[in-house]
Amino acid sequence: MYLKVQFPWNVVIPPDQLDKKRVMLQRFIIVRLLQEFSSRKATKEHGYFLAVTTLDNIGEGKVREQGDVLFPVVFSCLTFKPFRGEILQGVVNRILKQGVFLKSGPIENVYLTALKMPDYHYVPGENPVFMSDKLLKIEKDTVLRFMVLGTKWSETEREFQMVVTMEGDYLGPI
Amino acid sequence: MSGEEEENAAELKIGDEFLKAKCLMNCEVALILDRKYEQLQQMSDDPMNQVSQVFEKSLQYVKRFSRYKNPDAVRQVREILSRYQLAEFELCVLGNLCPETVEEAIAMVPSIKTRGRAHEDEAIEKMLNDLSLIKKFE
Repeated sequence: MYLKVQFPWNVVIPPDQLDKKRVMLQRFIIVRLLQEFSSRKATKEHGYFLAVTTLDNIGEGKVREQGDVLFPVVFSCLTFKPFRGEILQGVVNRILKQGVFLKSGPIENVYLTALKMPDYHYVPGENPVFMSDKLLKIEKDTVLRFMVLGTKWSETEREFQMVVTMEGDYLGPI
Repeated sequence: MSGEEEENAAELKIGDEFLKAKCLMNCEVALILDRKYEQLQQMSDDPMNQVSQVFEKSLQYVKRFSRYKNPDAVRQVREILSRYQLAEFELCVLGNLCPETVEEAIAMVPSIKTRGRAHEDEAIEKMLNDLSLIKKFE
C-alpha cells in the first residue's frame, strides 16, 4: 500500500555551506534532505521511500563539536509498504519449474510457488509457461493479481522480498 | 516481532500506526509522482537521472495500474468511496482494483463484511455502480 507519512529527521549541514542568507541555507537543507531521503531507499517499518512531498518545519539549528550544524526537520513523504494479506498486482519476470518470479512496483523479488497456483501446470520449452486447465497462460510479462502471504526485510540489501499466492477467488492473470 | 505474526490486511490487521496513516490509491500516487517528475524536467535535461530507482519503478507501477487518469475523476473516486465508512486501507484497495461485482469486492476486501459492519450487499452494489459511472464519464 502506498502511504503518506510524516517524519522528523535531522539534517546536518557542514560549516562551508552555512551561508548568511536564510534563503540559501533553506536550499541547502532541502537538497541535503532529498539526498539522504533517496539514499536511504527503504526501512523495515515504513517500506520504500518514494518522494518527499512537503517540508513542514525546519527547527532551530544546533552547532555540533565538529563545527557542522544539525537542523531538526519535519517533512511529509510517500512510501510503499507491503502488508501480509494485501492484494497487489505484478508483472511476471522469470518462469521456473518450481514457480514464478514477479516484479511489483519497487519490489524486485516476488515469488509465487507452483504449489500456490494449483490449477496451473508447468510447460517446459525455450520459453517455459504455466498453463491452466482452462487454457489460461502465464508467461513472461503476464500481469497477475495475487495476495501477499509473507514479506521479508533484508537489512543488507535494504529491500523487501515477498511470497505470494494465487489461491483465492478473483486472483490470477488479468 | 510479535506483531508481525498477527498482520493480515484482509482482516484489516495492519497495526494501529498504519490503520490511521493516510493511504493513497495508485491513481493518486501517479498524479503526485508525475507532477514531481515534471518539476525535475524543468530543472534538468535528464530527469530520469535525478530520480531514485524506487521512484522510477513506483511511477511505472502506478501508471500501469491506475484505473483513473483524469485528476477530477481521481478526486471523485475518493469522494464517493469516503461516503461508505471504509477504513483508508479498504478505500484504496477498492479504488485500485475496481471490482465489478459485490462478490469480487468482498473477495478483495473481506473486512468490509466482518465485525458486524453495516455493509449490506445493496450498499456495496451502489458503491460499485457509482465507481463505474466515473470510469464511463472520464
